Formats: sequence, C-alpha cells, structure tokens
Amino acid sequence: PAALPSAPLAFTDVNLNSRNTYEVSRRRSAPEHLPHGGTAPAAPAPPQEPAERARRAGVAGAGSSFAEFFTRNFFTKRTKELKPAVQSAPGWKLFGKVPPRENLPKDSKIIQQEYEARTGRMYKPPPPSARRKNIEFEPLSTTALILEDRPANLPAKSVEEALRHRQEYDEMVAEAKKREIKEAHKRKKIMRERFKQEENIASAMVIWVNEILPNWEGMRATRRVRELWWQGLPPSVRGKVWSLAVGNELNITPELYEIFLSRAKERWKSFSETSSENDIEDAGASVADREASLELIKLDISRTFPSLYIFQKGGPYHDLLHSVLGAYTCYRPDVGYVQGMSFIAAVLILNLEEADAFIAFANLLNKPCQLAFFRVDHSMMLKYFAAFEVFFEENLPKLFLHFKSYSLTPDIYLIDWIFTLYSKSLPLDLACRVWDVFCRDGEEFLFRTGLGILRLYEDILLQMDFIHIAQFLTKLPEDITSEKLFSCIAAIQMQNSNKKWAQVFASLMKDNKEVDKNHSPALKS
Amino acid sequence: LAFFFFFQSSDFLFKFLVIGNAGTGKSCLLHQFIEKKFKDDSNHTIGVEFGSKIINVGGKYVKLQIWDTAGQERFRSVTRSYYRGAAGALLVYDITSRETYNALTNWLTDARMLASQNIVIILCGNKKDLDADREVTFLEASRFAQENELMFLETSALTGENVEEAFVQCARKILNKIESGELDPERMGSGIQYGDAALRQLRSPRRAQAQSAQECGC
Repeated sequence: PAALPSAPLAFTDVNLNSRNTYEVSRRRSAPEHLPHGGTAPAAPAPPQEPAERARRAGVAGAGSSFAEFFTRNFFTKRTKELKPAVQSAPGWKLFGKVPPRENLPKDSKIIQQEYEARTGRMYKPPPPSARRKNIEFEPLSTTALILEDRPANLPAKSVEEALRHRQEYDEMVAEAKKREIKEAHKRKKIMRERFKQEENIASAMVIWVNEILPNWEGMRATRRVRELWWQGLPPSVRGKVWSLAVGNELNITPELYEIFLSRAKERWKSFSETSSENDIEDAGASVADREASLELIKLDISRTFPSLYIFQKGGPYHDLLHSVLGAYTCYRPDVGYVQGMSFIAAVLILNLEEADAFIAFANLLNKPCQLAFFRVDHSMMLKYFAAFEVFFEENLPKLFLHFKSYSLTPDIYLIDWIFTLYSKSLPLDLACRVWDVFCRDGEEFLFRTGLGILRLYEDILLQMDFIHIAQFLTKLPEDITSEKLFSCIAAIQMQNSNKKWAQVFASLMKDNKEVDKNHSPALKS
Repeated sequence: LAFFFFFQSSDFLFKFLVIGNAGTGKSCLLHQFIEKKFKDDSNHTIGVEFGSKIINVGGKYVKLQIWDTAGQERFRSVTRSYYRGAAGALLVYDITSRETYNALTNWLTDARMLASQNIVIILCGNKKDLDADREVTFLEASRFAQENELMFLETSALTGENVEEAFVQCARKILNKIESGELDPERMGSGIQYGDAALRQLRSPRRAQAQSAQECGC
C-alpha cells in the first residue's frame, strides 16, 4: 500500500529542458554541425553531455594557449571532470545534464531508495493525501513531480495516455543509450587519435632536429620533408623552421636590429616630450603620420590577442612587441606601421627570440604579396583578389555564383585574412599550422587556405544572404578544427586549366585592363 | 499604388557605416548596440566587419546592415569603397582625444562625397564615461555638428549610454526623410531597400522574431 504508483514519466519537462540545452549547444557548435551533421539541427537534438562541453571549452582553451598541441595533461584533466557528472543524482539526468543511462528506467520508488541509501536518511512516503504538500519542499521534489501523476487539480492520465507515455519514454531511453554508446566510441577514438598525434609530434621532432635541420638546404624540398611539413611543425622547431624558410634576403643582423630599435626609442622619447606641448594638427603631414603611427602602435598592442593577456601593458611580451614594431617603422619608413602587423609580429614573438623575430618579420613583410597589401597598393591587391577568384570559381563554382549574386567581393573577407595571415581570424594553434605550410608553399597557400575555409563552410554559406555571409566570414566560428580545415584545404586544387597560381597571377599582371573591368568592383574608386 | 504604400509602411533595410579614427570605439559601439554588452577584449578591425539588427522605429521594422570600418588612415583607401550606397553613418570621435576630433572634417568630406548624397550622419562623441580625461567639450562638438548639419550625441560603449539612441535616431531621421519625400528609396544608391515585408506578411509574425534572434546570435 505504501508503494508509490509507478507513474509514467511526464517527459514534457524533459523535452523542454533538453531543447534548452540543445539551443545552447547549437549556438556553440552550429558551424560544426550545420555543414556536415545533417541530422543534428533538424530533430530536437540530444542533451549534450558535460564532457562534450568540457571538450569544447578545452579545445578553445588549447586554441588560445601558445600553439601547444593537445597535451596529455589536458586530456587527463578532462576525464577527471567527467566523473562527478556521472555520479550526480539520477533526478538531474532527466533534465538533460546527462543523457539517461541504464539505471534510468525505474520508478520513483527506486530512485527514492537510492537517494536514501546515499544520503543515509530515511524518507517515509507520506499518505497519498498529504504527499502533494511536501513536494515543493522536498529536495527530490522535481524528480517526484516528473515521476508521479499529474497534480491533483488536473484530470488524471488515462490508461492509454499513461501507457503511451511509458512507451515514448522507453524509446527515449533506448535512443539515449544508443547515443551514449556511440559517444563512448567517439571518445575512445579521439583519445587514440590524440595519443597517436602526440607520438607523431614527438617522433617528428626527432626527425626535424636530427635529420632535417642539419641538412636544411639539401632536404627542404624533398618529398618526405614536404609531407612531414604539411602535418604541422612540432612547436619546438617551429620558429627555427619558419626563420629558415622565410630566409633573410634583406641580410638583417641582430646588430642592425639594435640600431633601429635605439632609433625608435629616441623617437618615442622626443615624441612624448613634444606631444604634450601642442596638437599635431599643423605639423607636416609626414611627421603627423609618423607620430600617429607611434600612437597607433601603442594603441594596437593592447588590442593584439587581448584574450592572452601577454601583450597588454604590464604583460610579459608588451615591450617586445612594441620594440619589434617600433624598430620596423624606423627600418621601413616607406611602409611604416599598418594595422594587422601587430598580429604577425606577435605570432613571431611567440615562436622566436626578439632579434630573430624582427628579422623574420621584416623579411616576411618584404614578400611581394605582403608588400602589396601593407602598402595598400590597390591595383596589386585587385590582382591577388582576381587570381583568388579564378581558383574560387574553379573549386567552388556554386558558392562562387552565390557570392556573385550578392556582389560579395573577396576583399570583404580576404583583407583581414591576408593582412593578419589568419592569426586574427583562426584559433592561434590552427593559424600556426597555416603559417607552417605558408612558409613551405608561399603566398599561394594563403589563398588556398581561404578557399579551404569557404569549402569547409560551403553548405551553410549557400544558405546565407549577404550580411550573414559577411558577418560569418569576418568572424569565423571559434571551434574550427585543424583536421577538418586541413582536409578541406587539401581538397582545393590550385590548378586552373593546367595553370598554377603563379602562372595565373602572372597572366593577370599582364592584362591589367581585363582585370579591372571584371573583378572586385568594390575596390575601385 | 496601394501595393507600394503597403511596402512603404513595412520593412526597410538601411545600410549604415561606422567611421572615425582608430581607437575611438567604433567596434565597441557596434558590439554594445547588438549584444548589449561592452567588449573589453576587443581586437582592432582590419578592413571591415559587420553587424545587423532589426529595430523598431515608430512602429516600423528597420533592418540595419552595419559596416564597421577600420580606422587607420592607411586603410582609408580601402574603406572608402564601402561607403557607396550607405543611408546612414555614425561618425565617431573620442572625447578624450583631440586628434580624433580634429580628423572629423576629413571623414565628413569622404562620407558626403562617396556615400549617398542624402546620407544621414550622426556624430558620436564616444567614451563619455571618461569625463575626467575629456579633451573635447560638449559645446564645441555640438556647434560643429550644427554647422555641418549632423545629429549629435555623446555616447559610451562602456555603459551603453546613448548607444541604441544613436542608431535609432539616425534610422528615424532617414524614415522621416522618406516620409517627407526628401529621400527616394527607389533611387539607386540610396542605401535603402524594402525589407522582406511581403515574406513576413505571408508567414507568421514568429518568423520575424526568429530572424532577429538569429541575428543577435551572430
């Protein structure tokens, strides 16, 4: 007589909550699901497991750490985080925090017993009439509410309804179980892959240090090295390889860097002395511009990777970044400081010693593509965009037409991507991998990466209108993974009717008029 | 004619610009307007970034398509090409920086020359919360605004003060101009398009809500 009625679960509540969870997870993971998932967005999705969320958070965290690949530490931490969630009260599982497990299809009585066993407290079921009153004050009230009949002021469920609810509930549980098994498989697979990846990095490092670096000139162009290179450089040799690959055509020595740095320091000193006296309104244009750029460097440093808190005033790399950029404006007054440079210098500083970072920075910016962009040389930029569009049309014709129909020109998204070499738009570890291959393949790879991004998100971009595409591409999703992106980049063919990037670009350089007529009208003025 | 009238009293799409010197808080104003939050770890904008929001102005739904441009002088040649067809603009300076105020004339010339002829511009003296470091008085800025036929507000992207107002007032003025016939949305390059009013009418009003919710998430 004391037994509680084995009431069918009122799963409307469950549904409501899982949908909320779904909303949250969808917002976070939309880009990941939409293009490939197919099933996920349409049907009310399963409640996301905390572990899954932890993984996302962790990946984002890894992204903002200095290009370190998933470390073992991080992974073990993640598995630890998982445990408390599993132990949480069964009642919570109904609310979408954790998908229902095997122990779920049981009635409130069993749950109650378990609860008592855990808390060591006996709960005497009050007589049915008095029970309702207690419900809102009991810690288990929510669970009880779900497991019981409808409130007294509502008509009771009919037998069929109760039966149907039970059946629907059972289906839900079966579904959840299936998902759980799938998830577990996925987790195991990810774990295996990470271990493999770590081992790969470790063994790659040995090869880079012992074999490749000592014989750089002889080996850099070999197939084996190029393939290893594509896999991503081990962080410990990354700076070194970048330096070697970028080269030092300009023959800058550390001593030369010191000279320009001290010049920059003098200028800062005199600037801070004069700026207090009068406005620069009436000063000569070149002086004003130079001084403005000194101010701007200061301003932009604090706005470079702000989430890392290392370049901001008082941060460990603040002065370094200031020095490299300041020295560069003295070294190349013809180029000066241009927004976007601070990101490039910052990434180099994270991977190289100060003087080496400067040398790589100056040489990198001396490449034709970078020089064209940082001088904001319109006609040259247009040629790069035009060449990009040739390969865009070749690789993604549908999306190309879609963009065309909105007059969405590549400058809208490419300017940010090219100026910062993706370091602002992609997670830092991923940006470093793009830099790796950029150092191997040159400017062509920057545009190939752009096409890779478009390919990765092609399905959702095809659904969007102008403003949404523009918003999406100027602020890419944060959970973009290197595996997915690099497989999309690999699928991009940099071949247009047997012409490679360099040839396409060269032919565009030849017939200027043709280009100006047909491409990127937005940049014409 | 009735058909046209129906459209006119419904949805519009306005292209808006946010322009002004580097570091005046253009992106932060946009972020505050859309997310109702201050973005304290803001990057600097390279090229252009975007935002969109549907606002209700006197019973009319107006979708703003906002182009948030880079502030550095060097990028001016790039950002200029984005002016075309803008119906409204926020011209932003920093009340704690004389230099950003002095640059206003240049920005204004560009906007008047390159955007639509009837572009409605609101001058925003941003960082109102930093009153202690003020280098530009309210009075002189409002005089400047008057002389140049600009609307004027002092804003704070930090506290949110006057941020929504700046966008809404600018949109309202454009609507007024359309109603008075001063602005013709039909004209090329007006920066104004009719919205998806017909669509909204056909489907349920819920669609419009879902759409604006989606926009805020972007």
